[in-house]
Amino acid sequence: MEKLVDSRGSACPGPITDLSKAYRNSQVGDIIVLWATDQGVKADAQAWAKRTGNEILEMKEEPDKIVIKIRINKR
Amino acid sequence: MEKVLIVGGGAGGLILANSLDLDQYDVTVVDKEAEHYYQPWYLYVAFKGSKRKISRPISKLLKPGIRFVRDTIKEIDLDNKKAYGSYEVIYPYDHIIVATGTTPDPNVIPGLSQIYNQVGDFHSNLQNSRKLWNSVKNFKGGNIVFGMASPVCKCPPSPIEGVLLLEEYLNKKGLRSKTKITYFTPYPRAYPAEPMNRIVEPMLKERGIEVMPFFDLDMIDTENRKIKSIEGDELNYDLPIIIPPCKGTKIKFRQDVKDEDGFIKADKYTMRIKGYDDAYAVGDVNNLPTSKTGVTAHLEAKVVANLIQGIYDKFTGRINCPFDMGYGKATFVIADYENPVVEYPPSRTKHFMKMSMARIYWLTLKGYMDPVFDFYFEFTNPRKLNEKYNKTNPPKASSQPQ
Repeated sequence: MEKLVDSRGSACPGPITDLSKAYRNSQVGDIIVLWATDQGVKADAQAWAKRTGNEILEMKEEPDKIVIKIRINKR
Repeated sequence: MEKVLIVGGGAGGLILANSLDLDQYDVTVVDKEAEHYYQPWYLYVAFKGSKRKISRPISKLLKPGIRFVRDTIKEIDLDNKKAYGSYEVIYPYDHIIVATGTTPDPNVIPGLSQIYNQVGDFHSNLQNSRKLWNSVKNFKGGNIVFGMASPVCKCPPSPIEGVLLLEEYLNKKGLRSKTKITYFTPYPRAYPAEPMNRIVEPMLKERGIEVMPFFDLDMIDTENRKIKSIEGDELNYDLPIIIPPCKGTKIKFRQDVKDEDGFIKADKYTMRIKGYDDAYAVGDVNNLPTSKTGVTAHLEAKVVANLIQGIYDKFTGRINCPFDMGYGKATFVIADYENPVVEYPPSRTKHFMKMSMARIYWLTLKGYMDPVFDFYFEFTNPRKLNEKYNKTNPPKASSQPQ
């Protein structure tokens, strides 16, 4: 299942909290698409994926947002 | 007269009710409780044993002419503009505002409800905060694990505030050298927003509080006194202080407007419930990408009051969370949708401001402090503060309206 998490504009607690929340509600095989505007999300998402054993499929910058696609491999 | 129904007598609901023109609107506030609590003070009940009176009857916090009904709204039909209470009471409305806050839900983490009932917590209510104070007071040394059980909770600074105040208490009691404190968090660092973390992490280090990042609580083994994370780590405890996960509203909606945790999907600028122009979700109960705090509920309520009365307005995502750092110092977490969190240095003056807020809170609910707040919010404008304090973090790309 693909799930969109729109975290644009979130500065505090920030997009990584929305990602953690989506992870908690996810299952192995799910795809989480995170939208954010906070630049810090790029490093955070990478560290998060490495630590939790999940995979970043794509990370791209669009004019109005950063889009990060993550596949849940571990739950 | 148009009927305005406000479900919830918390900060958002009361400020909104008191901001409407009562010559034009027939305003009803419904809450299942008779009393309103100043929730930020739970922290001082739990870690300082404060006995200050922190509640007032909701009926006395409303301007004359506003109706208060003590009832539990069970169901809302947004298409037919009706809310259903107990004993088959039906509340028809022209405008509805759902402002019911969050509900602690310790049952979703195995083992947590036992801790919640035995040790207490400082997010749920006054009784449980007093229980936590008893647990803290009777603690004689050992391992303390301190953290939150879910990524989203009320007031992002409060877990760190709690652990700093606890450290201060143990230090004053002479128990610090006999105690190991571990702060666990699902985030990559102690404070989720990086600029504030640059202040928080050195402070935790200086006070000997260990930080365990990427620790997303999965279950508690109460028999062996261990907490375990989804990531596969374990921590032993003698005293666990754990903020329960919080969920949105239990009210049933006949339309699909809630997310999987019960938070109401609302527009981040107007707080309108998605798909409706006469229904709003204000404060902690909505799913806005901002902090769940009294200040945001306050600012959202002011915007919604204007929108109902036909005045153009838009919520900026402004947050202003007072952050007690122990030993008489505090700061504020300040940001909005367009500007990142400010690296705002702690000071004694800011601590005085946090303490003063507890005194003027009751006047704030009635709108009597509005001129002071207007001045303050302009004085601490996130863009200006970022230019002054954030040396290493450039403001992010602005977000576009949805």
